[in-house]
Amino acid sequence: MLNFKPKQYLITLNKLQYFTPARNRWKVIAESIGIPNLQDEAAKELADDISYRLKHIIQDAAKFMNHAKRVKLMQSDVDSALKCKNIENRPFRFASGGGRELHFIEEKEVDLNDLLQNLNPKAPLEAALRSHWLVIDGVQPTIPENPPPVAKNVQKLESVDPINKKPISETSGKPTTGKQKLKNVETVQIKQLATHELSVEQQLYYKEITEACVGSDETRRTEALQSLACDPGLHEMLPRMCTFIIEGVRVNVVQNNLALLIYLMRMVKALLDNQSLYLEKYLHELIPAVTTCIVSKQLCMRPELDNHWALRDFASRLMAQICKNFNTSTNNIQTRITRMFTNALQQNDKVPFPSLYGALQGLSELGPEVVRILILPHIKYIGSKIETHLEGNLQSNIDKIASSLIKQLLVKVLAPVLKSLRNPPDNLDEYRQEYGYLGAALHVAVAKARAQPAAVAPAATTCSATGNIATMGTAIARTVATPSAILQQQSSAPGRTIVMNPGSRVPQAQGNQKFVFVQQRAQTSSGQVQTLQQQQQIVKSTRAAKSGANAAETGRGFQPRFRPGAKRHDRQPAAGFRRAKTELHDTAEQPEGTPQCGRFVASSLEVFSQGEEGIYIFPTNLCNLDFHTPCEVTVKWVEAIQTKLPMCIGGAIFGAERLKPKHRKLYTEKYLPWAIKTGKNMDFLLNIYFEKRWEQNVQELCQEINMVPLKLEE
Amino acid sequence: MASGMDKTQLAAVLQLLKKYNLKETEELLKKEANIEDGAPLQSDSEVSSVLTGYKSDGDPASYEASYIELKRFVESSLDIYKHELGTILYPVLVHMYLELVYNGHTEKAIDLMKKFGPEQDTYYQDDLKKLSMVTRRDHMNVNELADTFKSNQFIIRMSRDTLSLLKRHLNDKKASVLLNIVQEHLYFDMYEGVARNKGQIDATSGAVGGEAKRQDNKTKVYYGIPKAQDFQTLSAAPVEDEEEQGDQDNPDKPKKKKAKKDPAFSKKTKSDPNAPPNDRIPVPDLRDNDKHEKVKALREVSKRVALGPESLPSVCCYTLLNANYSVTCAEITEDSSMLAVGFNDSIVKVFTLVPQKLRAMKSVDQLQDVNIEAEDVLARMMDDRSGESSRSLYGHAGPVYSVSFSPDKTLLLSCSEDTTIRLWSIQIWTCLVVYKGHMFPVWDVKFSPLGYYFATASYDRTARLWATDHYSPLRLFAGHFSDVDCIQFHPNSNYIATGSSDRRVCLWDCTTGNHVRLMTGHKSPVQVLAFSVCGRFLASAGTDCKVLVWDLSHGHLVAELTGHEKTIHCLTFSRCGNLLVSGGLDCFLKVWDFTKLTEEASSEEVNVSHNPDVKSGDGYLLRTFATKSSPLISLHFTRRNLLIAVAMFDGVST
Repeated sequence: MLNFKPKQYLITLNKLQYFTPARNRWKVIAESIGIPNLQDEAAKELADDISYRLKHIIQDAAKFMNHAKRVKLMQSDVDSALKCKNIENRPFRFASGGGRELHFIEEKEVDLNDLLQNLNPKAPLEAALRSHWLVIDGVQPTIPENPPPVAKNVQKLESVDPINKKPISETSGKPTTGKQKLKNVETVQIKQLATHELSVEQQLYYKEITEACVGSDETRRTEALQSLACDPGLHEMLPRMCTFIIEGVRVNVVQNNLALLIYLMRMVKALLDNQSLYLEKYLHELIPAVTTCIVSKQLCMRPELDNHWALRDFASRLMAQICKNFNTSTNNIQTRITRMFTNALQQNDKVPFPSLYGALQGLSELGPEVVRILILPHIKYIGSKIETHLEGNLQSNIDKIASSLIKQLLVKVLAPVLKSLRNPPDNLDEYRQEYGYLGAALHVAVAKARAQPAAVAPAATTCSATGNIATMGTAIARTVATPSAILQQQSSAPGRTIVMNPGSRVPQAQGNQKFVFVQQRAQTSSGQVQTLQQQQQIVKSTRAAKSGANAAETGRGFQPRFRPGAKRHDRQPAAGFRRAKTELHDTAEQPEGTPQCGRFVASSLEVFSQGEEGIYIFPTNLCNLDFHTPCEVTVKWVEAIQTKLPMCIGGAIFGAERLKPKHRKLYTEKYLPWAIKTGKNMDFLLNIYFEKRWEQNVQELCQEINMVPLKLEE
Repeated sequence: MASGMDKTQLAAVLQLLKKYNLKETEELLKKEANIEDGAPLQSDSEVSSVLTGYKSDGDPASYEASYIELKRFVESSLDIYKHELGTILYPVLVHMYLELVYNGHTEKAIDLMKKFGPEQDTYYQDDLKKLSMVTRRDHMNVNELADTFKSNQFIIRMSRDTLSLLKRHLNDKKASVLLNIVQEHLYFDMYEGVARNKGQIDATSGAVGGEAKRQDNKTKVYYGIPKAQDFQTLSAAPVEDEEEQGDQDNPDKPKKKKAKKDPAFSKKTKSDPNAPPNDRIPVPDLRDNDKHEKVKALREVSKRVALGPESLPSVCCYTLLNANYSVTCAEITEDSSMLAVGFNDSIVKVFTLVPQKLRAMKSVDQLQDVNIEAEDVLARMMDDRSGESSRSLYGHAGPVYSVSFSPDKTLLLSCSEDTTIRLWSIQIWTCLVVYKGHMFPVWDVKFSPLGYYFATASYDRTARLWATDHYSPLRLFAGHFSDVDCIQFHPNSNYIATGSSDRRVCLWDCTTGNHVRLMTGHKSPVQVLAFSVCGRFLASAGTDCKVLVWDLSHGHLVAELTGHEKTIHCLTFSRCGNLLVSGGLDCFLKVWDFTKLTEEASSEEVNVSHNPDVKSGDGYLLRTFATKSSPLISLHFTRRNLLIAVAMFDGVST
């Protein structure tokens, strides 16, 4: 009785819950199988009967669903139910002829092209078994396999109303009488403090993660960021993570420490990616930090060389992500952020170019609509502003780079917008008139965009927006670490700063390299002596290029507010550092016999304040010693004699062990006697307040502290 | 229509005459009604359904009036009787509806249902919805539920006072419609004592056929665990053997150990007054292999962690990946070494959970070379090179709904939608027997704790008891009104519990095949059952997301544990019996304090005729653990009380 329209049954299956027999529907179905005039009466009878039977089948199908331990009804369940009712259910085609009835499964035609292009669906993966600890002695470990200990909505509830936070153990077995009494008396609800106590393990985790995130080891950092992005149990240390990030940004912006800013932004990115965190609570802290990285006037030491633009791009993308994830009608995040960027655009001359670039980038990431409404009206003014820098040659190099980048950016983001905004005949003059200086470039870009197939043009912009930001961040870090190519070209000119980047030569020391600056005077000016003031200049300019944790350490003069880096990491790559220095010794040919020609090596500002390590570098300079092991050991001897500190004595004795035969001879004959003599005669080195003596001549200083320079060439 | 009606009735009368051998009357009637002998006779069941059917001549309009009157009577009665009287409303409504439909007054019937259906208790709504689908007489024939109502009396428990009140009312009013229904279709199970309140009634109502009769739960049940068979002699020899080898330099040690172990055994050796005699059901003798296994298990027992509210279990979760909507069941061996998983696509897969791989037996030629006298002959039989971490068993032709390992881990049973049960060997990895008997999909299969026997539950409303060496079932347990969804052996193997879609839990005696306990209280199909370690309690759970705990000594409902949000599919007791763990499709694992429950239950005065107050609330819930969007399909405690959960990762729903 039922076997004549199974297909129709299946179609109506999903509506069956509230199924009402619509007679017209049955008439239509009847017509489709060749019964033209179905009587109303018959349609009603049919409808009643069929709907009853359908419901019956669905009921049965639900049994099969239940026993398959699902909550979703599937076609196979209906099949089984039909089979139980002894209804021929398989065939979805029915043919009859010659007195025979035939059911068969309709076979689809297979397109060979699909097969060849591998478009057919993949075979399902085989079921696999995986074990993990769901609970250990009644406590659920917070591993990715387990759900987050505190669900997002609970985190939200906690943040909105901390009184809801209940300790788990106190849910049962407490007398309720006292509570009720309280309720009557209590009229004001006191908002309790939400406490987040960190266990020892969590503290360790926090320490490890933060160290790895801003430390020197890139693989470790990747792991740490991965952990931040995936681990479910982070919500308790989230406030601390946020504090770490914002404090880090605050300090490093002041110090123009580009690499660290990038690392911190990557941390923000990882936190944004973590699904189990309720970040809304900390947006008020994170947004200013991210904004800083977009629009700050200066983010690195040498704006003309370092690629701080990449940081701005990256941070802009983060901002766009924040807007996308967290914008609601009540917090209006996007509105507030766009207003902030727009303000920057409207401040006319006061805004420096990098900030302008950041604001534009930040806006453009928020989508074409924002670009159209907020950037387009300012285009003429911006054009005129950058024109002066691009066309005229009186301006500084920095502004010129910034201007050209702004131009590129604007052309890139405006072209698709204009393409949809304006009608095809593009008139160059109209463009000039409307968009001023940028008109010509835009005209070309729009024309190009129109020439491309429609699908490609928008893809280009979205692509850049959604590209792999994490690798972008890595790329930034690399660009910071390897500016040597450009710089070495400059070294040919006498009197210029030579910047050696050991990172490019010692790849495994990546991230730890202390940039070594060699100030070289021309040979003709050999009589002049460099002052510490000049050194300081160099040191200052070095800071920008410094990556890793060292750079974050501040000098004695600075209040060390923030130490994101792991000091332990600094020690470990010391070999790399030394090698770099040795290399410097080998490569930077120093004219012989010019002792007064100061060779100043400064690792970073921190070296002056860091006691042991800093001291030895400074005296090395002072003593006019080279940076190779014998010299360092020599300085150690001086220190050992003066300070009697075990670590200096140890360094002096054991450092000598490492010397090569050639050096050892030199060491025993020349350096050691000198070191002992100097150590005994010289004023106590640690008492010298180096920062007061920046201006002083090195030779003067040497005389003042009773130090006789070592002369090797006799 | 009318003539057709006549014919069926006439046929029924004829049948009756034939039955009583009243030939003359039969002839006479045949002549008068013009029925030839060749006329197709209806089957017996149809005739009986006509005889008990709705031959009402009442005026269709009077139904509504008499229902309203009954309702008014219930509402106006004293508070103590009100609720008990109220239980009559639902069956009366159902029967009125069916009677109207049967007599062709569909409009009236739908009207009645629309008016009074929604005011019935919420747990009846599902059934009412199903019944309201029935709008024509021929629908009733194929409708399981309508059939149940038609051919069975709805059982209502009432106190003597309430019942006399009701009877007086019915006699006064002489409402023929109502009186007819009450007489024909309702059965009052009267008891002495105070009328029950709403909560008490709700706790035990909800099943399709009404509540359980007192008579149903009168038989004595040997729920105790019999003394273990000669464990001393069993364990003594091999244990000492091994320990002598290990500690030859220290001869005192074995004795000491033995002395230490004794208390553990002595607990079991004390004979339980409620335990059945050992020879109550025949059991095959233990083989050497089984003895080894028993000894091993005993040794593990001494290392078991006692669980409780203070020492919660550790849970190891096995998650099935890439198995979204394709896994239907899972089961772990008693010694936690293997996991069998049944799939929608009719495959059974066995995974090993220990480093030891799944090995196959050697080929016949190679087996001939094995020294039969050797101590480790069982190990020698296996082919080491064939080790694999998972093996698939192919044979079924439909979704596999349940799998069960034999206690000796050499056999595996599976049941499927294709109506067959298959016995697989996990030594040679092939199918050994296909048991055919059920006519419809088999929902559940369980091996007896002693091996040899197994029981199945099916869509065909029966449960069957089988022995592995018989092709046909040994016992057939019929009585459920709907599918038997789950089945479980009592730890002493003498009883079988079944849970059904008719929302009743039933305990059957394997030896007699009779039902000895009938327990009502579930509000939707029962999906899983578990016996407590002591054998006295039975936990059941299902689609209504509640775990109910029954006391088998009298068949009372002890506790109702609520908290789950979706169907519960697995229940298990810890090996020490202190904890009950439940898991379901809502991805939650809940740990309940069973010791506290039983202590409180046993301290109460239990009266045979009266249900004690049902315990509920969060007091027994110790902890809830969530999995990451992985519905739980199986739970198992290892011998050392580590909980193993099997879940399938549902990547889509997130």
